[in-house]
Amino acid sequence: MTGREHTQTATAEGDASGAEGPIISVSGLNKRYGEINAVDNVSFSVRRGEVFGMLGPNGAGKTTTIEILEGMRRADSGSALVGGIDVRRDPKKVKSIIGVQLQSSAFFDHLSVAETIKLYGELYGEKVDVDAILNEVELTDRRKAYFKQLSGGQKQRLSIAVALVNRPQVMFLDEPTTALDPQARRHMWELIERIRGTGVTIMLTTHYMEEAEELCDRVAIMDSGRIVELDTPGALVEKLLATGFKSTREVKLATLEDVFINLTGRRLRED
Amino acid sequence: MRLYFVLTIASLKMYFRNRQAIFWALFFPMLIMLIFGLLNFDQFSPPNVGFVDNATSQASTAFKNAIDNGGDPLLDLSVGDEADLLEELSAGDIDALIIIPERFGEDDGVSTVRAVFDSRKPSEQGITQTVINDVLDSIFLELALVPDEFRVESRFAVEPSFIDGQGEGFRGFLVPGVAAMAIMQAGIFGVVFTLIRFKTGGVLRRLQATPIGPSHFLIGQMTTRLIVTVLQTYVLIVAGILALGVSVGNGTIMNWVDVTILALFGGALFTVLGLAISGWAKTEDVAAPVANIVTLPMMFLSGVFFPVSVLPDWLANVSQFFPLTYLADGFREVTVNGASITTLGPELLGLGIWTAVAFAVATRVFRWE
Repeated sequence: MTGREHTQTATAEGDASGAEGPIISVSGLNKRYGEINAVDNVSFSVRRGEVFGMLGPNGAGKTTTIEILEGMRRADSGSALVGGIDVRRDPKKVKSIIGVQLQSSAFFDHLSVAETIKLYGELYGEKVDVDAILNEVELTDRRKAYFKQLSGGQKQRLSIAVALVNRPQVMFLDEPTTALDPQARRHMWELIERIRGTGVTIMLTTHYMEEAEELCDRVAIMDSGRIVELDTPGALVEKLLATGFKSTREVKLATLEDVFINLTGRRLRED
Repeated sequence: MRLYFVLTIASLKMYFRNRQAIFWALFFPMLIMLIFGLLNFDQFSPPNVGFVDNATSQASTAFKNAIDNGGDPLLDLSVGDEADLLEELSAGDIDALIIIPERFGEDDGVSTVRAVFDSRKPSEQGITQTVINDVLDSIFLELALVPDEFRVESRFAVEPSFIDGQGEGFRGFLVPGVAAMAIMQAGIFGVVFTLIRFKTGGVLRRLQATPIGPSHFLIGQMTTRLIVTVLQTYVLIVAGILALGVSVGNGTIMNWVDVTILALFGGALFTVLGLAISGWAKTEDVAAPVANIVTLPMMFLSGVFFPVSVLPDWLANVSQFFPLTYLADGFREVTVNGASITTLGPELLGLGIWTAVAFAVATRVFRWE
């Protein structure tokens, strides 16, 4: 699968300060909610063109961090630059260069898929090529459907389509495959790969480790508001193995998911 | 500007695709209006009949006493001069007119009572005619002291005639009231439930992730509501004209312009009020009772179905300041009395003040999530 190749390329390139400089750079970011440090002195950077994963249990601060970068929440302190723009100073400008898929977002019940995409284009002052975007996310045959008539996977793809209307430099995908069946998830992976192939930097969160391994060049693991580890998936595994860790589970060459896909096929089921 | 236009068009599309919203905004009030209008509550009280007594004789007094029926009147009589009462009949203030001829009951010949009816009030005509016939029958027997077995044809007769009255009675009262109520319902319920759905579903949050933000979207929604308010008012009033025979003032363009201005004032007020409720409430469970607490008392106390004047004084003193009272009164002034908007200062001021209050509350309590 394509994901692994990217992972290996990124590993080979190595060091964090790429030739063009990072597209996202965060340093000393803090956000408190009452007694809780939702984001606790977080620093990291994301390179142009990579898929960067944020992993961590619920409540670790992934979504808060991402929402600060999206200009939707204000950090208490620290700095965050996206595409060279200071998010804390100019959240509006950041919003115009990023594409966003929120963890739970809905669109208007009584607008069709095509109308929704067009309307969102207008919000960015862009005349959108609706057909091209529909084609990109494979929703061409659902262009006249209303939001509520879409399946879970189709809703997520519409969400991606809307995030693409302003031809963003960076896309933030918050749990893009949660609650999707294995077929729809694989489909989403392919879509994310295709978008990354157009040069868009992608930052995503997920609870699925195989998804992170599949898609991400590098991952940050968050817990209790802090980044506890940040590296390529391969390097993280190596690091753990170097401590003498041995999985109690016998590693086989196929997983149950492979069995499932093998039996049910890769075809999308959403009618 | 372009964005505002685009958002308004999108909002309108969404609105007219939402069948439920249209049902509540249009068909529900129309149904209420037609049901109450066709029931015509005027029937439940005795017809209001003018009485001209040109004889002042024993017979005419007996006639009047018989109608009075010992304190439980069969007809609600107003005694007066023929010319004045004819004018009242034509204005719709009374339902029929009974004219007792000179030397009534004294002639040997036929004493013909004249009755004038409003051709637009057939039920009142029926009641009045029956009462006149019964009463004439009974006073004939009483005066003539004829034993039943010798009973002959009454020498009293009734000569009916008709005029086309202008009055619209209860229907004329009802239609502007329901039009006002519909604006309230559409404004509050339409806005509250749509916005709460957008809020809890994450639609507003998604808009927050765009450079434009959700406030522009809200302005588009507001504009949609105002357009719907005006259309809805037209539809309800036209239904009133066609089905219940009411009119809009003198039927001039200016009367319709005034109705439109009032509808916009009312639409703005109740939309902002809806915005305040939905901005404050987190979920539908909280918003629904609040919306009902606001609308229900007004529905019954603001002069929609019956005049505020029938309420106990203390209640009337309060409900005259309700937002819906101003709107219903304003509509009624235009449709029933043909008043010009320029004479409706108090109503417009009342609506304006309430809008300002609702706006202040809305901006204070509004929460995006």
